[in-house]
Amino acid sequence: MKRMSFFLSATLALAGTLHAQSLPGESVYHLQASTQAADGQPVAWSSLRGQPRVVSMFYTNCHLMCPLIIENAKSVQKQLSPAERKRLGVVMVSLDPARDTPAAMQDVARRHRVPEGWRFLTPAADDVRAIASVLDVRYRFRDDGSINHTSVLVLLDADGRVRARSEVTGAAADPQFLTQVKALLAGP
Amino acid sequence: MKRTLPQTASILVLALASALAVAGDAANGFLPVEGGDFRSSVRYEEATRQTRVASFSLMARPVSNGEFAGFVARQPQWRRDRIPSVFASPGYLGHWATADAPGAAVDADGPVVHVNWYAADAYCREQQARLPRFVEWEYAAAADATRRDARGDPRWRMRQVNDGTPHAMDAAADAPANAYGIQGLHGAYWEWSEDYASLLGDGDRRGQQDGDSLRYCGATALAFNDPGDYGVVKRFVLLSALQPGATLGNLGFRCARSTP
Repeated sequence: MKRMSFFLSATLALAGTLHAQSLPGESVYHLQASTQAADGQPVAWSSLRGQPRVVSMFYTNCHLMCPLIIENAKSVQKQLSPAERKRLGVVMVSLDPARDTPAAMQDVARRHRVPEGWRFLTPAADDVRAIASVLDVRYRFRDDGSINHTSVLVLLDADGRVRARSEVTGAAADPQFLTQVKALLAGP
Repeated sequence: MKRTLPQTASILVLALASALAVAGDAANGFLPVEGGDFRSSVRYEEATRQTRVASFSLMARPVSNGEFAGFVARQPQWRRDRIPSVFASPGYLGHWATADAPGAAVDADGPVVHVNWYAADAYCREQQARLPRFVEWEYAAAADATRRDARGDPRWRMRQVNDGTPHAMDAAADAPANAYGIQGLHGAYWEWSEDYASLLGDGDRRGQQDGDSLRYCGATALAFNDPGDYGVVKRFVLLSALQPGATLGNLGFRCARSTP
């Protein structure tokens, strides 16, 4: 327990130092946007800083591509070593804040049996486009309520610089993207 | 939910914004555009149909250099020498004399150009507004000086070939306002829309629901109900090709507000 709290305070101190440093210009965390986590808690977009992450955008009411996005991200994670897995955050961001309530996000996480530690975030309605823009995700609502969107996993380093992208076309991880993830995690 | 700002900062910004909004409204107010059923000239994958455009209001003219200089003074993180590179390309406000002022060589009342989508979005938020959606622009721009939908007039429409150039029909200083009282929608400058990135361009792989739309929706997205609607076709193709950080010497913006 003592050891745990030491570890925790060391992490917090480190996080504090990181935040004190100025963000690199290319960081997507310059964007001031607010989101809500699946547990209902508010999460500032910029607070994702501090850990390398794979981020994607999807919506829960999507039955072909979005399950593939989730499975693809799971496949990436599965091919990492336990140590690597611990270092990499996975964040799924909703394109559809009107329908993707915390309950809907929890439900999709359960249905896909996503590993613990994944974050499901629903942006404020007027922040979706800006988050999509910094991730270079294009999307459009169709008349029937479905959404055309770029299906992509984006690898961000701890400071929010885009380091790699992987277009999702199936459930299996793209080997080149996996190499880029591992290379980032091996770095300092 | 609102964007997070330090509390004192947001109070200050709000106070400033409302003070300035009062001052600004006299010059560049938001004019009401009554909604209605509308046949967009842009065709997406779905079957052609009427779109319902909700009532909204739109700035009478594009945001000017002077107005934008006021904004960068209030929110200096949008100065060209401070904007983070994630939001900007090197040309951002590059035509201004200095980082905080357009200078004498640039018309203070003329539309601000060389602005990217992020800065335009931030400006509109400060006005408690937003960028107009493309269909809202198209709806308001269907009006000429007397008719709310003048698109059936081939001669009027033909002149839109010059949109975005100095020969555009609204480019002259004495060009009449349209039926809503709005100016410059067919001017020498293009304008950002909120959903520039829903105008899914060629080369994007996206979509869901079936394999075909995954492969082909890029191609079908670039189809038009009315290819003769030159102003809209040109504008659509231009905006769909832009990255949000891009700037152009003939691309500005104006803001819209939803009608509560």
